[in-house]
Amino acid sequence: MIRSVPRKIATVLGSARLAIWLLMFVGAWSMLATFVPQGDSSLPEVAAWAVAHPVIESAVRLLGLHAAFSTLLFRVAVVALAAATATCAWRRTKVAIVRMRTLRTAAGADAESLTAEHDLEMTIRPSLSDADALSKAAGVLAAVGIRTRQRGTLLFSVSPGWTVWGSPVFHGGLVALILVLLLSGFLRSEGLMGVAVGDTVPDAPESYGVLESGVLRDWQNVQRSIRVDAFDTEYRTGSIDRGPVPTVSVLDGAGNVIKSQRVYPNNPLQTGSLTVHATEFGFAATLAVLDKGGVERGRAIQLIDISEETSGGTVPVEPLSLADDKGNRLVVAVTVPMERRGGELSVPQERVARVEVFAADGTPVLDEVIAPAGEIVLPTGSTLRLDELGYYARLSVVDDPAIPFLYAALAVAGMGLTLVVAARQQLVLVTVAESVDGPMLVAKLRLWRNVPTNRTEIERELAEAFQTDEGERVS
Amino acid sequence: MTTEIVLMWVALTGFVVATAMFVFGVTFAKERFVRIAVIAASLGLVPQIMALGVRWARVGHGPYIGYYEVANGLTLFVVAFFVIAAWRNPRLSAAGIAIMPVAVLLLGGAMLASKDSLPLTPNLASYWLFIHVAFANLAFAAFVASFGLGVAYVLRKRSTSGKWAQRLQKLPAQDVVEELTTRFVLAGFLFWGAMIASGAIWANQAWGRYWGWDPIETWSLIVWVIYAVYLHVRFTLGWKGERLAWFAIAAMPISLFALLGTPIVFNSIHGGYIGRADG
Repeated sequence: MIRSVPRKIATVLGSARLAIWLLMFVGAWSMLATFVPQGDSSLPEVAAWAVAHPVIESAVRLLGLHAAFSTLLFRVAVVALAAATATCAWRRTKVAIVRMRTLRTAAGADAESLTAEHDLEMTIRPSLSDADALSKAAGVLAAVGIRTRQRGTLLFSVSPGWTVWGSPVFHGGLVALILVLLLSGFLRSEGLMGVAVGDTVPDAPESYGVLESGVLRDWQNVQRSIRVDAFDTEYRTGSIDRGPVPTVSVLDGAGNVIKSQRVYPNNPLQTGSLTVHATEFGFAATLAVLDKGGVERGRAIQLIDISEETSGGTVPVEPLSLADDKGNRLVVAVTVPMERRGGELSVPQERVARVEVFAADGTPVLDEVIAPAGEIVLPTGSTLRLDELGYYARLSVVDDPAIPFLYAALAVAGMGLTLVVAARQQLVLVTVAESVDGPMLVAKLRLWRNVPTNRTEIERELAEAFQTDEGERVS
Repeated sequence: MTTEIVLMWVALTGFVVATAMFVFGVTFAKERFVRIAVIAASLGLVPQIMALGVRWARVGHGPYIGYYEVANGLTLFVVAFFVIAAWRNPRLSAAGIAIMPVAVLLLGGAMLASKDSLPLTPNLASYWLFIHVAFANLAFAAFVASFGLGVAYVLRKRSTSGKWAQRLQKLPAQDVVEELTTRFVLAGFLFWGAMIASGAIWANQAWGRYWGWDPIETWSLIVWVIYAVYLHVRFTLGWKGERLAWFAIAAMPISLFALLGTPIVFNSIHGGYIGRADG
């Protein structure tokens, strides 16, 4: 009873029909999902689509098609498909083992063993010598695409044992791929952080503006930081304009540089499981708060994004909260007025900063434009100084230790599939044997995969060549 | 640019002539015309390769970007794949009656599209582009070959008066045509899988993620899944005959849509290869 349950499960999962239905579901579901905007209902495109398609929207929402690839239904189907693939890989492994043994046995076969055990026999004319009969049979087989070799009175064409492993290796590779993808989801962290040129930030959750982190991601043992050393506003390699390019360094816990390089599309910084891409850039304003005596009381960096939607062309990533020497909280928003040339935003030759200061309750306090090294005296007597107006790079930082395993699984699946496509799986043994009815051509044929002919054609061609009735199968 | 366009028109003319010859040769059972058609298709490749070479030298990259270049690359592989198969196994030549029209429509469409050269964007400037596109072209060529053999199979099978059976008698036996169709599907399945895998590795290199369910990525998976279903019904359910041939026929246009239609229909991060600004 207990043993029969796993067996029943294996039978269900190993069902070809189940695998086909699951594949069809995944395909059809994915197809539907491409016609429906993906994401949370608060996203403008999702909301607009819902308004435009009120009738379909209720069904779409019920099915969870706005989050098609993370919905439970889809995940269950993928897990079931993975289980079915694993069962299939196991079954195909068993078939491959049997076939490999058969091929090995056949590789060591001789005329006597074939005479004792064969699956095709055909009477031939007594006048035909054994050598002529084998030569004729070899010619017939060559004509249908099977080249044989001769050992004594045995014609043989036996594929090597490894040729039968394509399908199990491919399915095993797919199972490994799915498992690695699951593992990747648990271990991976992926986020965006803005780093001003010259600034160094620790690789820790608080440094990220946006962060997705797997449940098994261990941040405690991450002892490194990321620095942006320089920023080229234009960078070319050969004839290709790479656009604005930062130079990024990864440092270990002691501050030693592990790796440093220019980062641009197709040239990420990779060290260990960490990959750093540069996705955007903007301005970075370094501000210092000075007391009445001119002593620096605080310092902060304001990151500023370029934005087509604002009149000035820039918007602060997040307004700064600073305190003057009396402890009054001030909210500071710095922007960089851009120039418009031909309708497109461009960075002015001499950059200046527009500094807007608000009280904690949102009351405007000051609004001035200053150049780097310029100062603004706040009503409290403190001074706000713009020390530097440079650039910042928004970095996409991904740490995924599963990626090498993902590539390995892809490679294994690819090798398996290549074997399936290219490797011929066949066993052809032919000899001449004596029987009470006279000489007979006896053969053993296994034409499993990628053979340019089939058993019927071989039997027909041999029968025609030896001018006899078609071969008789021996059970 | 003029030389390139003239050469391309010559290539298209060659393919149109080849198509006409296939239709005439097969319809009237004139084997000589079928052989001439294979020669015409092969000769059409010469000006096409020259035109693409001229363009490559001028714009500095292969036929990867913009509808004109992408459709051109697909046509080149479809015709080359077919003529190699037809020269190696002349009995397959008659399948050109279904394969060459696909090539003519693709190249004809390309000739009507903008022929402006699009620069390599920083995202596309990678050796992975060559690998990814090469596998896509190989896969599509194999799928079109399976489509052509599927059409030939159905034509012969449905020929109640036996006319088409006679017209296509030079083709191998139906079971061999079926086997060859499956082998082309398998080859296409392998190449398409390699395209997806190389794309995933490249995406990780370029964007820091190997899969993002972008519509073009999703449709590439859909095509792979469709052909996986084909292989499962063939090998595990033992489907044979006309319905299997219809499957191969119906699946090919979906692969074409995935390659050329999706960047037009959907907003995609991949749109750049077809000249969309959002790519």
